[in-house]
Amino acid sequence: MIEVQNISKEYPLTTAQQKKLNTTDPSFSAIDNVSFNCTPGRVFSLLGPNGAGKTTLLRIISTILKPSSGDVKVCGYSVKDQSEMVRGKIGFLTGSTDLYARLTPEEIVKYFADLHKMDPALFRERKEMLFTQLNINEFAGKRYGQLSVGMKQKVSIARSLIHDPDVIIFDEPTSGLDVITADNIIKLIRQCKQDNKTVIFSSHIMSEVDLLCDDLAIIANGKLLFNDTIDQFRSLSENQSLTQTFIDVVGGETVEI
Amino acid sequence: MKIIVTVIKKELKDTLRDRRTLFTALLLPAIVFPLMFMGMTKIETQRTEDELNKELKIGLVNAPEIAVTQFGSDQKIKVTRLEDQQTGNKLVKADSLDAMLVFPADIAQKMETAKPGELTIYHKSIDAATYPRLLEKIGLIESAVVQGRMQKMDIKTEVLTPFSVKEVDVVSANEEMGATIGAIFPIIFIIFCFIGCMYPAIDLITGEKEKRTIETLLTVPSSRFEILIGKMTTIALIGFLSAMLTIIGMFIGVTYFSDSTQKIAGSFTEIISIKAILLLFGMLIPLSIFFAGLLTAVVVRTKSFKESQSVVTPMTFIMVVPAILALSPEVKLNWQVVWIPVYNMAVAIEEIINGTISMGHYAAIILTLCTAAFVSAYISFKQFSNENMIVN
Repeated sequence: MIEVQNISKEYPLTTAQQKKLNTTDPSFSAIDNVSFNCTPGRVFSLLGPNGAGKTTLLRIISTILKPSSGDVKVCGYSVKDQSEMVRGKIGFLTGSTDLYARLTPEEIVKYFADLHKMDPALFRERKEMLFTQLNINEFAGKRYGQLSVGMKQKVSIARSLIHDPDVIIFDEPTSGLDVITADNIIKLIRQCKQDNKTVIFSSHIMSEVDLLCDDLAIIANGKLLFNDTIDQFRSLSENQSLTQTFIDVVGGETVEI
Repeated sequence: MKIIVTVIKKELKDTLRDRRTLFTALLLPAIVFPLMFMGMTKIETQRTEDELNKELKIGLVNAPEIAVTQFGSDQKIKVTRLEDQQTGNKLVKADSLDAMLVFPADIAQKMETAKPGELTIYHKSIDAATYPRLLEKIGLIESAVVQGRMQKMDIKTEVLTPFSVKEVDVVSANEEMGATIGAIFPIIFIIFCFIGCMYPAIDLITGEKEKRTIETLLTVPSSRFEILIGKMTTIALIGFLSAMLTIIGMFIGVTYFSDSTQKIAGSFTEIISIKAILLLFGMLIPLSIFFAGLLTAVVVRTKSFKESQSVVTPMTFIMVVPAILALSPEVKLNWQVVWIPVYNMAVAIEEIINGTISMGHYAAIILTLCTAAFVSAYISFKQFSNENMIVN
């Protein structure tokens, strides 16, 4: 369960940044008073154009960044005051597939399991299951730097799921991936949903969102413009495509449902 | 603690598989530098030997018979009698002659009447051994002439030597070692310790930022402090190892392969006491941590490997400055110097090797270096905790 409660994130601006952005404001608002909930067994999608604030929001949920105001509760723990507890509950997959080039998939996954203080027997069991499911065994002993993008993405997935997290956060997980690798991610998200996990992923691809998500939030310029189920969003579309509806929402005023 | 050990184990494994770090931090100081040092020593020794043994070609103008005989009796000197000075000058300039000795035209008469005559030697100063070899030979000629005159006057030669000088060198092997390598030691210690820390710092901090793996790392249930301590310990360990390998490599080189230091060669353990080694170790530990903290605090502000390199490389030259300042013979370890980190260590090394360092001074140096290490680690933690520094 993720409860995002009136989250805002502001960055102070230097004089050079003010000039670049053509503003006199002393700070830049990356997220402006955003609230929504993600529930277990459902896939929540965070949709928005580039620079909308999706990554910032996911970084706040995963405790990498601190909110300027508001709070996020992950499985009941506050990202502000109980960040270590929150981190124990989440699996975070960034848009980048990069990991440690000189280590093998086996070593990388073991490293993250150790950082999660996993019991050795449980680690072996989880690793066996994930490596088999993702077909990692055939390249488990190769250096990560020598692997293809698809192989790397599989290792990243195994790395983020090794400790069996309750909440899974994906930041533009299919961005820059080929069709086959992207399909692996889509299958994984579905699997997580079946396992009653709370899944949140960011995207700017409408077709992907339509395929996967149950609930949807649209943000632009740090503001929440839409937050409801995908079915409600589809009902807004009437005769036009979902992409066009998305453009209308982002380009227009805040949509009231 | 378990998390810190996990991070150290992973970072060491990762770093030691990096060829660039292996070369600059370990291979270069352990093998390349001692080889370079020994090679230079051997070349210098060989050059000096060659100069001393080469055949000297000299031209003599107006030389008295005794000079011609003395120079001619030496198999390593080839004598040419010259009619005039101008021809000789040209031959010296053209390197056909190594030197020309011009006696006054009336030298025979002057010698007969026991009057001094001026002897002019033309040579090129870049051939360092020529002039001393000629002076030695001229000294012999002078002695022979003086002896002849004294015999004529029936005076015993002993009257001219009221003392017979006997040299007894009381320098200890430690002091000789201190004087010989005490100057170069601080530079090696400081540079290689710094370089040893440099690449791991860039790789483990900026590298993770650039690849965005730092975000992944910061979502594990450990504190940033534990992750930073794990990383900083690895950086300091590589720096420490790098400095130690340089010293071990150099001592092996000096002890077993170098010709020029035969007097101090013998065995490394006979010259440097276990106490001195422990004292050097004691300083190197806080120095490595200081460098690790300093570099972490600097590279965490950079966004890419390239930017890190351009910021850190000039720092190497800054770090050499204290070691170079310590080279001055006027600099001595005192209660003012001991409070300046890095510089105090550079000054103290010679005294440690000599075995003359005061424990009070040493304790103050350790205290200063530990304080510097703590401050740099604290600053780097502050930087590492700042989300704007960590996330690109």
